[in-house]
This record gives sequence, structure tokens and C-alpha cells, in this order.
Amino acid sequence: MTAPSSLLSSLKEHLKIARELRYLEIHFYPEKCKGVWQCYEVCPVGCWTPNYEKRVVIFHDPEKCIACGACVLQCPQDAIELK
Amino acid sequence: MATVFMKWLETSPKDYDRGIQLLTLGRIRRVKERIANTYARQGVRVLEIGCGTGTLTAMMAARGAEVTAIDASPTMLEEAERKIAAAGLEDRVTLEHMDAVLIGERFPPASFDLIVATLVFSELSRDEQRYILEACKTLLTPTGRILIADEVIPARGLRRLLYYAVRLPLVLLTWLLTRTTTTALSDFESLLQEVDLQADATVAYLGGSLVLYNIIPAAAAPPETALPRTVVGRLHHRVTLRTLLLDLWLLLFRIIPPYPKVRTGLYMIGRPDSESPVLVTGNFDLTVRRVVRALDGKVNVWLLVADSSGINVWCAAGGGYFTAEKVIAAVKSSRLSEVVRHHALILPQLCANGVDGWRIRREIGWGVHWGPVRAEDIPAYLAAGRKKTDAMRWVRFPLKDRLEMVTVTLGFYGLLILLPLLIFWRAMFWPVTLSLVGLSYFYAIALPRLPGRDGLYKSIPLAGFALAGFALYTVFWNPLPPLDLFRWALILTGLSVFTGAELQGMSPLMRGEQANWGWEALIGATLLAIYWLVPLALGWR
Repeated sequence: MTAPSSLLSSLKEHLKIARELRYLEIHFYPEKCKGVWQCYEVCPVGCWTPNYEKRVVIFHDPEKCIACGACVLQCPQDAIELK
Repeated sequence: MATVFMKWLETSPKDYDRGIQLLTLGRIRRVKERIANTYARQGVRVLEIGCGTGTLTAMMAARGAEVTAIDASPTMLEEAERKIAAAGLEDRVTLEHMDAVLIGERFPPASFDLIVATLVFSELSRDEQRYILEACKTLLTPTGRILIADEVIPARGLRRLLYYAVRLPLVLLTWLLTRTTTTALSDFESLLQEVDLQADATVAYLGGSLVLYNIIPAAAAPPETALPRTVVGRLHHRVTLRTLLLDLWLLLFRIIPPYPKVRTGLYMIGRPDSESPVLVTGNFDLTVRRVVRALDGKVNVWLLVADSSGINVWCAAGGGYFTAEKVIAAVKSSRLSEVVRHHALILPQLCANGVDGWRIRREIGWGVHWGPVRAEDIPAYLAAGRKKTDAMRWVRFPLKDRLEMVTVTLGFYGLLILLPLLIFWRAMFWPVTLSLVGLSYFYAIALPRLPGRDGLYKSIPLAGFALAGFALYTVFWNPLPPLDLFRWALILTGLSVFTGAELQGMSPLMRGEQANWGWEALIGATLLAIYWLVPLALGWR
């Protein structure tokens, strides 16, 4: 009995990952940003642009995001979320 | 008759340039660019022995070096003079017609910072080589160096065989086309030893058959201090039978474990010292070899190989196999702080999705710098003082990479789909194999031009192409009965969706292929239902 049920649960897990990865989006809270620009430093697809005057970053290209999560992990201010 | 033949044999300077390009498969140009880019700066005094048509002369002068260039052939020098004049570089270049053995008498001692000779030494006898090297030593300033690029006969068995297999037809072809030929150096490093010179670094091209020697007086070489006992060893870029076989295996079955691993720990590339930068990478064999290939002979650095479970850094970081803890463990266990005086790590940018840089800074007080995406950019990144350009920061997916990744994925699906077909449904094996291979490579080539923002959308035009090809096939070559037509149209649609959706995972510019699994399963089930039910409902046979 355990084999089919564990198969089913692992399939469910896969579909959950699939749904998450498909619909994950970056949520950026500019008010928290202190202009460390680690997100710009690590983003491999160029979603972020630093604004050197205001010492903040701009999330200018959400279409390119591949949901890798690098910016979320490297932001010291927790100003970026992926959900 | 004889004069005609002699005339034909006489190589014109233009033919010579073309011939050399052909013989070195274009690599000589890269060697020259490296010499000019790395060593030719404002005010550097250069002696170029055997300047030929002046290609390198002009490159170095264009970067501000003061070049004295000599050659024994007046026709070559004429061509060089034209080239220099055309580039407006006469101020910085002195051309002299003389034989290389005379340099010691012609120029005063210590009058050059750099002496360069490309494809010259192989044309000389061993005695001449020794004589000229001795003269070079006196002409150099104390901090000067000699750069010699030449063809070299690989020393060892298999590569030597490969060398002759490639070289013999190439030599014949080149000679017929341009009447140019060259000879190759052998055992050059022992000659350097005889005259108290030593190769500080060597860069090999074309599997070691074209080598750039970076030579300094033996006394000037920094003494090799006793290695810290935690250093595993020095890594060199080498092509051997083992690496070739491993590359072949990894080209097809990279996804399938067990992954070839490198022992973790601290390695040297070149001759790093206590101030040299520390680069961190994962312990996947292919990763380490590609990093070494990109750096060996170009920079002197420490390479800290941390445990990534034998997976490339991006996937390992994404999957939780390569973390800040693994990097910290590598720094601590290699006693890195006893080897270098600074506290800065350069991490591959692509591991930033799993290695928490702030955790490393907080826990052990080492600075974290995110290096470029590609190892090839590391020398430029270091030269610029750890500054990245956007081009170094962003992933690209050029055709070469796309073809490589399609082959990797095909190897995996070959085992997953085609092998079961071969065993259980042999009639379908070849049609499905050919369709899958065709679709995959077509997709790899057409990827940037196919509309749609992800693999699932791109599979729609892909299916369109597949069905159009199928229509042509059935109209012009092999008319199929309606049931077969119907079924193959469905199979091709299914394979297109599968290809588009699954190959998304190989692209660094799109989300993981898992994002498509839900839709893929739905579309697959629908196609399967139509495949069985429609003929059944219509009583089709």
C-alpha cells in the first residue's frame, strides 16, 4: 500500500514545485532598499538597475526573471521576496 | 622551366600570412593579440625578432609600445613598412633589415623591456637558438622578459599521434595553397635551462602544438617557497586520453550520476603568492577543468575547490548542495588564512542563488566578491581590479552552448525514452529517435528566433514546423494511410511539446523545466486520449 501512495505523494510534490516555479514572482519593497546593489551584482539576466543618485535599485525588467532567487538571498535588507 | 618553378616557390608576404593563419588554424592571431594586450603598454621598449609582415609590430605599437622590429627578408619588411605606415605608427616603430644572430652586437645591453619572437626560433638551428637566447639575456633590462611563440611537437604518445594526423594533411594543403611551411621546436625548455633562462609561464594552444613561452632569467624567478602543507597541488590545463573520454561521456550523460569529482581543497594555478586572489568553485570535474583551461598561463591565483557534490555551481547552489557552509568548511579546512594575507574570496556569480554571501562575511569575516558568470572573463575581471562589466554579469546562450546542452539532454532522454522503445516497441525506435533528434537540434538552432517567452509557448511554432515537415514527407516521399497520418501527427505534436518544454531546463535564460510539468502532463494525457479514442470511436482501421 505504501508504494502507490508514496508515488502519488511524490507526483503531487512535483506538481507543487511546477506550479510554484511557474508562478513565482519577485516582490520588491523599495522603501527597505539601502542601495547595496548585491541584487544587481548577482542577477544573471539583468533584471536590476542601480540608481546611483538615489542609492537604490530599480526592478526594471521583471519579464526577464527566471526565479533563480539569487537577489533574494543576497539582499541584506530583506527587501526582495520571491512568492 | 626551372625559373617558373622557382617563382612559384617564392612566397609572397601575403601568401605567407595566409599560410601561417591556415597552419595554426587561426590561433597565431590570438597569440599575437594576447602578447599585445598583456605586455604592450605606453613606453615599453620592445625588440621584435623576425617581425615578418609586421602584424604584431603594429598591434604592439598601437598600444603605445616603442618597437624595434627586425627581419632577414627585405620583401617581408617592405610589407611591414606599408602596414605600419597605413596605421600611422611610424613614430613608434623602427624597422631594421638584419639577421637575428646580430642583435647582440647591434643593440646596447639592457636596452629592451620585452623581446618577442613568433614562429622564428623553430626556423633556426639549435646553435643559433642558443646564441640568440644568450644575446637576449644581455639586451633585457633586469625586470624584462622574453616571449617566444612557436610550434612545438607534443612530447607524449597519443597527442603526438594526433598532432601528426592533423598536421600532415594541413601542411600539404597549406604548402599547395601558399607555398608556406614551418618547422616545429622540440625540447625547447631544456635549451632554456642550458642558458640559465626559464619559462615563468607557458600557454598552450591547439592541444599543445602551439606554445607561448613567457621567459625570464632563471635567477629572477621568484624562489618556490615551501608549499603550505594544505595545498593539494598545482593544476594545469592538459588534454589527455582520460579527459577526452570523460568529455565524451559528459557530453551525453552529464545529468546521470555518479558525477566525476575533484578532490576538494586548495590548488594553485600558475605561481600564486600570499597576495594572490582566491577563487572558489565547486568540485565537479568538468567545472574545475574549464576554470583551469580559462586561467592556466594567464593569471596566478589560488583555486579553492569546495564540495558541491560533484555538481556544477549553479545547479548545486539551486539544489542546496553548494552552500555558505560548504565554502566556510573549505576555507577552514584548507587553512586558507595561513596561506594568503588578505581575506577576500571571489565566488562564481552563478552560485549566488544558494551560497549566502552575508553568512560567510558574518561567520568567518572573509569578504565575498561575486566574480563573472564565465571563467573566460576572470582574467579581465581581475585585471580590472575585480570590476565586472554587464557583459560579464549576464548569462548568454550562444549556439555552441545550445548544441552542447541539447546533446546533454538527448543523452539523458535516450536512456529514458529511446532505450525502453528499443526493448519493448522496436518498430517505433528509429522514427521516434530521428524525430526527437531532429526536433531537438532544430530547436537548439532556432531557439532565439522562435516566438514565445518560454519553452511551452515555443513548442507551438516548433510543432508547426514538425507538422509541415511531416506533410512534405507524406506528400512527396511516402504517402501514409489516414490512420498512420493521424497518429504520427499526434506523436510529432507530443514530441514537439516535450522538446520545447523539457529543453527549457537547459537554457540559462528561462525558468527551470519543472515550471512546465503541469501543462506538459495535461497536454500529454490529452494527446494520448485522442491517440487511442478517436480511431476507436470512428471504427478506424
